[in-house]
Amino acid sequence: MTTLDQHVGTRPIPNPKKSFITKLNAGTGLIVGIIFALLTYRGLSTVLDISVYELNNRVLLATMFMWSIGFLAGIGAFIGPIRWLIGEDLTAEEQLYMAGDGQGIKRYFKYCTDHKVVGIQYLWGVIVLLAVGGAMAMMIRTDLANPGGHFITPSVYNSLVGLHGITMIIALIIVATGPFGNYIMPIMIGAADMAFPRLNALSWWVLFTAIPVLCSAWFLGGIPTGWTAYAPLSVQAGPGMNAFIAAIIIFAISTAVSGANITATVITMRAKGMTWNRVPIFVVGATLSVAMAIPAFPTFMLSMIMTAMDRSFLTGFFDANVGGTGWLYAHLFWIMGHPEVYVILLPGVAILIEIVPVFVRKPLFSYTSAIVGFAGIVGLSFLVWAHHMYMSGWMPMLNGPFMVTTEMISVPTGLIFLVILGTLWNGKPWLKVPMLGVYAFLWNMLVGGITGLYLSDVPADMYLHGSMYVTAHFHYTLMGAALTGAVAGLSYWYPKMTGHMLHERASYISFWLVQIGFQVLYLGMFIAGAEGQPRRVVDYAEQFATSNKISTMGAYTIGIGFIVLLWAVIHSWRHGKIAPMNPWGAKTLEWTVPYPVPLVNFDTPPVVTSDPYGYGRSAK
Amino acid sequence: MSEHDSVDLKPTPGDRLANFYKRSDVIQSTIFGVIVTGIFVILGGKFYTKWMPTVMSTDMKAIERLMVVFTWIAAPVCGVVLGVALYTFLNRHSGDTQPPDGPATRTNGPIVLLWSVVTSLLALTAVVYGITELNSSSIASAKNAEDAMVVNVTGSQWVWTFEYPKLGVTSHELMLPINHPVTFHVNSVDVNHSFWPVQLGVKVDANKVAETTAETTPNKLGEFDVKCAELCGLYHAYMETTGEVMTVDDFNNWVVAQGGHSA
Repeated sequence: MTTLDQHVGTRPIPNPKKSFITKLNAGTGLIVGIIFALLTYRGLSTVLDISVYELNNRVLLATMFMWSIGFLAGIGAFIGPIRWLIGEDLTAEEQLYMAGDGQGIKRYFKYCTDHKVVGIQYLWGVIVLLAVGGAMAMMIRTDLANPGGHFITPSVYNSLVGLHGITMIIALIIVATGPFGNYIMPIMIGAADMAFPRLNALSWWVLFTAIPVLCSAWFLGGIPTGWTAYAPLSVQAGPGMNAFIAAIIIFAISTAVSGANITATVITMRAKGMTWNRVPIFVVGATLSVAMAIPAFPTFMLSMIMTAMDRSFLTGFFDANVGGTGWLYAHLFWIMGHPEVYVILLPGVAILIEIVPVFVRKPLFSYTSAIVGFAGIVGLSFLVWAHHMYMSGWMPMLNGPFMVTTEMISVPTGLIFLVILGTLWNGKPWLKVPMLGVYAFLWNMLVGGITGLYLSDVPADMYLHGSMYVTAHFHYTLMGAALTGAVAGLSYWYPKMTGHMLHERASYISFWLVQIGFQVLYLGMFIAGAEGQPRRVVDYAEQFATSNKISTMGAYTIGIGFIVLLWAVIHSWRHGKIAPMNPWGAKTLEWTVPYPVPLVNFDTPPVVTSDPYGYGRSAK
Repeated sequence: MSEHDSVDLKPTPGDRLANFYKRSDVIQSTIFGVIVTGIFVILGGKFYTKWMPTVMSTDMKAIERLMVVFTWIAAPVCGVVLGVALYTFLNRHSGDTQPPDGPATRTNGPIVLLWSVVTSLLALTAVVYGITELNSSSIASAKNAEDAMVVNVTGSQWVWTFEYPKLGVTSHELMLPINHPVTFHVNSVDVNHSFWPVQLGVKVDANKVAETTAETTPNKLGEFDVKCAELCGLYHAYMETTGEVMTVDDFNNWVVAQGGHSA
């Protein structure tokens, strides 16, 4: 314990008079949550006959939501709101206690309002989700290594595909805005904390309760639908589907809370002098990302509520026999689904754009273009959803317009490339691990973007839709670009978050293993798609054997690479080289605070006089 | 770095431009860019034609051509991006200390403008080309619609059924006469499926109640695969069958053999 709570020494350790609040932690949350869930299940199943499809769905959904509510009650999330109801609030001491001051490692298991604690909680949450999702990917690729192999049954395979998908989507949505948006961003804008610290804790713990719910799908028979959960397949599906529905609804609440909080923080709490044209680009990217999620995710939540109604009350929103339509589901889903890929992409890209000037020692090239590029992507992303539905048969007349809006996205994306290339030009990049991510991004996003061009085109999509080609394409953008950005961000900000440098050799090795394995994996998958192998198949014809074998070899390489990275993260957390205050010589505000970062971040509120990209020798 | 300084300080734009082309970084980036563009042009011509299956209809031919042309449109973009990226990557700063500061260039108006215009034009080219193809294929299918043979395609978990209403035949294999337009009326009895006769280059979802259509004209004899391209539950992977494009005589014989009346 050399590091975590050194700063506490300068403050009196508060004594909230053995308040009730000090007794609560994740353990009490678990206990209350499980009690709530058990009581709900036992109670309802005596009233409702759980051998009936819709009644069973009601019981299971209620149990899952009660678990979530019970956990939050048990960890103390409702103490503040209850005090408001009776006209009081938490005392100053209690608030200081909730900020985790002087509690060492215990505060990570409490309802802690300190944004730095929440950032670390998110980081480990993301790591666990990525590990689980990655392990599922390895099982999928092992099954697909040979045609006719029966490593797993079709039922398990379909569940794996769906749960891998949704686990990774959730992980990637929070992979940058969770850890870095919470830990780094408030310091970056010179704020003492988030605008709503209690909402910050709420967003994490609500998300946390969704994880066991999602995992319970395994024990309820899995999900047969893939992460898109298309109706009517989702309505036909077994009890595991309830876990998917409940997890998404809970997750949507978490993103709404977190999105409102991050947006409000950036709008209201920037340091004196940090005008909009001086805001670091990561802050812009993360804010636009969560701001985009605020209108987008409710439609996903709504689609899940409607699926739950169809399943629990036989409402028939998506049942064609009683006047509903599966297209309604597809629309609601993709109105969320397409902005969502940019919700994932923007923060990752913004991290990389943040990194480039630091390692090239030049100002960011055309800050305005970066903003225009981001804004253009945000705007267009709401107008392209039906390109996922070209082949659905819904309104073929509108395929043309959706094709136009989709292909227009290449213009703002092009500006992002220009910003990075313009900054690289005339510079000599310092190829530390974070900077390597920028080069990986340039290649991966190029491939992802160009293959997206074929898919956006209606006639070409006629062939490619629903094939492995699509799978390879979106892995290039989501994993090759967004996750690469987040991993670069991890090695970039790791020193500030842990006080230690991330093990350099291990992260180099990991970088190359992951990136090379990635190219091999998805080259094989592009070929399989071009040959005509559909997505989400447990088995395939002999003709696809070579390309699938190549893919599986690539996948294992990635797996090894990420295990190396995981080792580096765990090892360096305590034993890494002690980091200097500003190891990369960056000019953003987070590098002006020491480690451990003081509770209120800055002793004196910083004043900003320029944007943080004033690198480079001035023209003589 | 020192020669860059002197370049940056040249007084007139004309001089700067003339010197720009002599700079070693410009020359090297250009060489890399040209090589990358060339690779993508060659790859564009080869990759899809090599891996995509036998072309058995004009629709499939159009798709293959489109993939090639789009790769060519993208090739110069790859050239510019990777040319610059490769040059700076190879010309990196090594060592454990920060590199020296580069020039403090904040932006370059003409370059931003040029880049925006060029990428917009490339996107426009792709849009226009795609719309034209889309239009010509729908015109062609509208023209063929009257004398097209209708096949009712029904997806059910996890079987395709093909009904030829005029011929009184129902089959689980899709037999088609060559050079004769065909219209598929696609339906599902349960969940969503997606009807995909791979080598014919058409695909459309099978939905419950709401019927969808697809048209094509097979123009090459031989077998083809029919798959399901929408996850439809447990045996989605096995929801496949074969089809064959036959001569008109063979097709008529097949219809009679199935107990139908020849067209």
